[in-house]
Amino acid sequence: MAKKEDLARIVGPERVVTEEDALIAYSFDSSFVKGERPECIVKPRGLDEIQRLVKLANDQGFALVPCSSHGPHSRGDTVPTASGSVIVDLSEMKAILRVDQRNKVAMIDPGVTFAELQTEVEKQGLRIEMPLLPRKTKSVVGSLLEREPTTGPKYNWDAIDPLCCLELVFGTGDLFRTGNAAGPGSLEEQWASGQAQKMPMGPAQTDIARLIQGAQGSLGIVTWATIKLELMPALSKGFFVAGQTLDELIAFTYQILWRKFPDTCLILNNVNLAAIAGLDPKDLPPWTLLYSLSGLTHLPEERLTYMEQDLAEIAGEFKVTPRRNLAGVAADRMVDLASRPSEEPYWKFRKRGACQDVFFLTTLDRTPEFIQAMDGLTREFGLTRENLGVYLQPIRHGTGCHLEFNLMYNPNRPEDSARLPALFERASRACLDLGGFFSRPYGLWSELAYAKCPDTVMALRKVKNIFDPRGVMNPGKLCFKKEA
Amino acid sequence: MKLLPKDVYRELADALGEENISQEPAVLDGYAWQPAMNLTNQKWIPRPAAVILPATTEEVQTIVRICNQRQVKFKAHSTGWAAWGGPSQEGELQIDLRRMNRILELDEKNKFAVVEPYVCCGQLQSEAMKKGLTCHIIGAGPNTSALASATSAWGYGGTGLSTGYSGRNVLGVEWVLPDGEVLQLGSPGSHAGWFSGDGPGPGLRGIMRGFSGTQGSLGVFTKCAVKLFPWYGPPQPRVEGILLDVETDVPETEKMFFVVAPSFKKYADISYEIGNAEIAYWFCRSPLNAGVDLFMPRAGDRLFESKPLRALLKAFQHLGVALLSSPSKREVEYQEKVLRKITVEHGCILLDLSKAPGYGFWWWLMGVRSIPTALTFRAGGDFLTSYGSPVEYDNAIRQAEVAQECKQKYIDQGYFKDDMSDIGWGGIYEGTANWGHCETAAMFDRRDGQAEGRFKYLEDSARTTIEHTLGLGLSNLPPGAWKVYGPQLHNYHLWEARIKKAFDPNSVGDEQWYVPSIDEIEPKESSSDEQ
Amino acid sequence: MNDLATLKSDMEGCSRCSHCKWVPMAQIKSWRFAKICPSVDRYNFHAYSGGGKLIASNSILEGRSEVTDPVMEIVYRCQLCGACQVSCQAYRDDIDLADVLLALRAKCVTEGYVLPEHLLMIESMKKEDNTLGLLKADRGVWAKDLDLIDINTQKVEVLFHAGCRYSYDEDLRSSVRNWVRLFRNAGVDLGAAGPEESCCGGRAFEMGYQGEMKNFAEDMIGRIKASGAKLLVTPCSDCYYTFKYLYPKNGMDAGLRVLHAVEYADLLIKQGRLKLGKCASLRVTYHDPCHLGRRGEIYKMGWNGVNKLHRPVRFKQMGNLGIFDPPRNVIRSIPGLDLVEMERIREYSWCCGAGGGVLEAFPDFADWTARDRIEEARAAGAEAIVTACPWCERVFKDAIAAGGDPMKVYDVIDLITMSWGG
Repeated sequence: MAKKEDLARIVGPERVVTEEDALIAYSFDSSFVKGERPECIVKPRGLDEIQRLVKLANDQGFALVPCSSHGPHSRGDTVPTASGSVIVDLSEMKAILRVDQRNKVAMIDPGVTFAELQTEVEKQGLRIEMPLLPRKTKSVVGSLLEREPTTGPKYNWDAIDPLCCLELVFGTGDLFRTGNAAGPGSLEEQWASGQAQKMPMGPAQTDIARLIQGAQGSLGIVTWATIKLELMPALSKGFFVAGQTLDELIAFTYQILWRKFPDTCLILNNVNLAAIAGLDPKDLPPWTLLYSLSGLTHLPEERLTYMEQDLAEIAGEFKVTPRRNLAGVAADRMVDLASRPSEEPYWKFRKRGACQDVFFLTTLDRTPEFIQAMDGLTREFGLTRENLGVYLQPIRHGTGCHLEFNLMYNPNRPEDSARLPALFERASRACLDLGGFFSRPYGLWSELAYAKCPDTVMALRKVKNIFDPRGVMNPGKLCFKKEA
Repeated sequence: MKLLPKDVYRELADALGEENISQEPAVLDGYAWQPAMNLTNQKWIPRPAAVILPATTEEVQTIVRICNQRQVKFKAHSTGWAAWGGPSQEGELQIDLRRMNRILELDEKNKFAVVEPYVCCGQLQSEAMKKGLTCHIIGAGPNTSALASATSAWGYGGTGLSTGYSGRNVLGVEWVLPDGEVLQLGSPGSHAGWFSGDGPGPGLRGIMRGFSGTQGSLGVFTKCAVKLFPWYGPPQPRVEGILLDVETDVPETEKMFFVVAPSFKKYADISYEIGNAEIAYWFCRSPLNAGVDLFMPRAGDRLFESKPLRALLKAFQHLGVALLSSPSKREVEYQEKVLRKITVEHGCILLDLSKAPGYGFWWWLMGVRSIPTALTFRAGGDFLTSYGSPVEYDNAIRQAEVAQECKQKYIDQGYFKDDMSDIGWGGIYEGTANWGHCETAAMFDRRDGQAEGRFKYLEDSARTTIEHTLGLGLSNLPPGAWKVYGPQLHNYHLWEARIKKAFDPNSVGDEQWYVPSIDEIEPKESSSDEQ
Repeated sequence: MNDLATLKSDMEGCSRCSHCKWVPMAQIKSWRFAKICPSVDRYNFHAYSGGGKLIASNSILEGRSEVTDPVMEIVYRCQLCGACQVSCQAYRDDIDLADVLLALRAKCVTEGYVLPEHLLMIESMKKEDNTLGLLKADRGVWAKDLDLIDINTQKVEVLFHAGCRYSYDEDLRSSVRNWVRLFRNAGVDLGAAGPEESCCGGRAFEMGYQGEMKNFAEDMIGRIKASGAKLLVTPCSDCYYTFKYLYPKNGMDAGLRVLHAVEYADLLIKQGRLKLGKCASLRVTYHDPCHLGRRGEIYKMGWNGVNKLHRPVRFKQMGNLGIFDPPRNVIRSIPGLDLVEMERIREYSWCCGAGGGVLEAFPDFADWTARDRIEEARAAGAEAIVTACPWCERVFKDAIAAGGDPMKVYDVIDLITMSWGG
């Protein structure tokens, strides 16, 4: 159990929160994860305080649950499992430490949100590759540490992108910097020599940032991160391709990804497109591919022209029709919406007030199998098709695909609330059985996903034992359960 | 000569068959001759106690388990170039993976291939091209293992602008850990296909490798999925000739240029611009003097003696080769227009190679198959390479500048062939990312016995990377370098040493090119752990 | 003739890059047919590769290892096809890989590390002047009724040398007879030595009995000179290699022009002295015999330096000047034939498996190698594999017969004969 006075000595008494309401708010979220009420919430201001907190946790044997976004949370990863846990709230660490225009990289604190970062980097003609309409309070670092997919597969070379280097404190209390940020030389020396802490690998023969990514705070706490940025296009044009079937869009999507044309590139079903664009699903085709083309630093109009001409030919070959408007909404408007955090209410909640997501990785060509299975299941559970959002996000140049089902429901309807947990579980199991790869295993998924890969579990426990040997970092998450 | 204990040999022979194991001295010496990266005065590296040829993951697992049970150190290699693939001491078992040589899957739509260790990049590329795809080929050439550069070694190739870096192109991996357990990283571990290498949860690729791999020090990689990239040329171009005599038909939509910048700074500037403009398939620095030295080393000896010719070649020092590639004429025209604009704006010279007779040689060998770098052998059979840390490209070019000065001293002393020193080779990676690498090789003939002086160049280049803050480069990672650089980089070596202990509890994986177990570095820590 | 010790620098120059195991990188066209060295492809240990044999030779020379039974297997399970040298010399100016392989064998033989099957062949050569263990008296039987000019008694312009395999292999007899008919048809008066023809000695040299070749060469050269011939034509690729490369390399000069029968046919066609008819429609592929192709490259005399790093490239035996186009020209000149190429052709051709004494000592390995080639021919879409060497033809025919394969095997002359309705 943490001694509050010790915590206060580290972060200052005003930054140790013990109010009942605040603590209760952290004891659950909108997922089905059941947790413990934390002992308190601490709000450190920087590395030194974080490092001391972790050391204290090791000394006194209490759990730390790092959390970089303001709520509402929805995945269960910040819901404490151990009693006496201390929430390490990083959401107020909001410094944008550096933006390097030439190297297109920003160094930011963990509490910086997408909107905050975007506003800042826009001033230098840059932009951040973003997940699809993140909620306003979402931390950039938090999102990327969770490997949330971004909407531009062209710029997504590896699973870690656009996360670059990290400064972090391991569960042991040791400070570490990953990638080129590790050295040689101080950050200042590196900047002076033309470096910008962009290269994410290493140092040397280990890639610690990869271990931290996806760890749900169970290995350490990130104190800053560098983020790869892209140029703000000089010109951008959005396009819709409507599809009665998903297959026709998939074939076309593969082709345009092969040509490396689109910046934004994603597929939504009518429910999700309607939710984002404020339309009625009935006015929309079942499936819509949204993509954008951009003109860059040189001859932007000419770039758009050749792309459009080439794409028109490809579209003809694939018998699809790119269009600039759909049901009265301009594709440019949609691209713009998809490049910003969601307005309130959060887009997934607009229709019914609440939403449970089932998402995993697969490949684009396999998505129809999952969708068919999910259609059947939702019918079985009486969830109408109008309440099932589907989002397909090609990742890593299209080598994989994030497939997300959004089960929209009314939390105030008892029958909805009653059937959702069962549907969620059945859907999760069904997708797993069909070969969905639950790479981000939250809550229930951790049990399901890790049951399939005992070798991974064994390796992860070794890793956990190295970086957090006393188990103070967000215990109980992933495969790091007590019974282990 | 240290041989395996007879019963261990027998156990291995029974498991894999007599024809797949040998302890014949002349056969073993085939694995003890590794002049490249042999950073000792000895001509031979330690001779393995036996060599074994597994054909399956299960056989690898059997071997590794026996090694654990009998405390035999092992080292596996795939195509087996350079000393890092061989044992660091006598008594070790050399695992030669050449029988594991299949392309298990080539997923055209999702652009990846699953390969075994002995599939060379040339093989993978030739199959991928038939499906409109290509693979990343590292500078060492298409004879290298696609798996090894992705899982275990360094991995930069000239096409990095459009095909990335091998270590970042890894998807699913199958890995026989040093304790004999099989670990499948990412989606294959969950029987979900090979398209992803990270998760569930933390990315265990992080213990597999960093910027560099562990060079076989942490188990054996038996399968690996690597990303493939669009290929816009013909599925199987007509190619005649075998190297310098190559002739081929270049499609109209593949155009190649020499871009000559007036200075290091301007070269960096145009590299940034090309990346930002999202043009080009290939853009890689290749000073003209380096080309002379590769393609006609003996003529180079004469040319470099002539001051006027040196001056002329110096004018082409900041030469980059750009390849534009697309299935569409419109796109290539656009890219050419932008390239011309960039070069004019930065005071560069642009030479359209596509109009030169014999252009096919450049396109096929350099732009596509990454062959000419292996000509570094021509000068005398050996080379050392240094600097070349992956880093923001301004800094990479700074490395070439520093390397030029450092290497010249050793050329002056007769340790390296005179190639006018700056042959800094490397380009920008990953499209818009603006990071890349620039390494400086130094060629020599090892047969002249002057090894020691040459290794001082490596030490010197490593020292200057620190002095000038040039990243952790190729010269910073030879055996034992962690002792110097670990403490400067957050004690990374201690974390690696803990990983080594956790995953190789019996220390059977040859750790020369990685780190030893924490038990050996900090015995106190491990004993307190045990308490 | 090189002593192994004189090639130490070549051995120590090996970078262990392993290009010697692969088709030259520019020519890799598939996963399946990317390998170039049958020896290492079949037996896997690095020592079996070209580079591996450089290293093993160096090891033996330095006394780190000795020749033992397993080492002998490495040395002799090699067709000496020369492909490793082609791939190596694309990058290296200072390594003559094939010379090391030959010198290693010579060292083995000198020190008594020999194979009984090879000894049998050598005995036969010594006793009966042929490699096949058959009676010298029967050597001229193939030419019965052809009324060739007897060079033992008469002067000739053109000397026809049949070689051991063609002289004795009854399956191939029609080929050699048809060559004679063909040239006659073009108006060429051919002479031959009949039963007095002897082996060229090349096989003995390759198997390591280098001194033996000298005797045959002297005999051959003497007979040639006595005949007054200005041109020697042989249908045997092995003999061709011996005349074009081994004799001059070892300081022996026959003093006349040497052409392979396919080269001569190509020449006669170009001169308009030979006209070919039409064949039944057939898709064929041409297999480059090692000894006619890369190893048929004429010996490049004239450089006597010590440091091979300074040797001008024109003196390297790169294999690209072997005989590649004439057989293809002949095939293409026959209407009805559709010539398709395999992936490994010309100087980077895959060996048939028969050479270097492998057929005699390790027939299973020869067969394995041949089957790989037949599979490649099939992958190219060919119905028939065509060659210009009796050894290749023999091993292909045997492999196909054993495997019940529908692939047909022809000599170039067979196609010509078919075009004449033969």
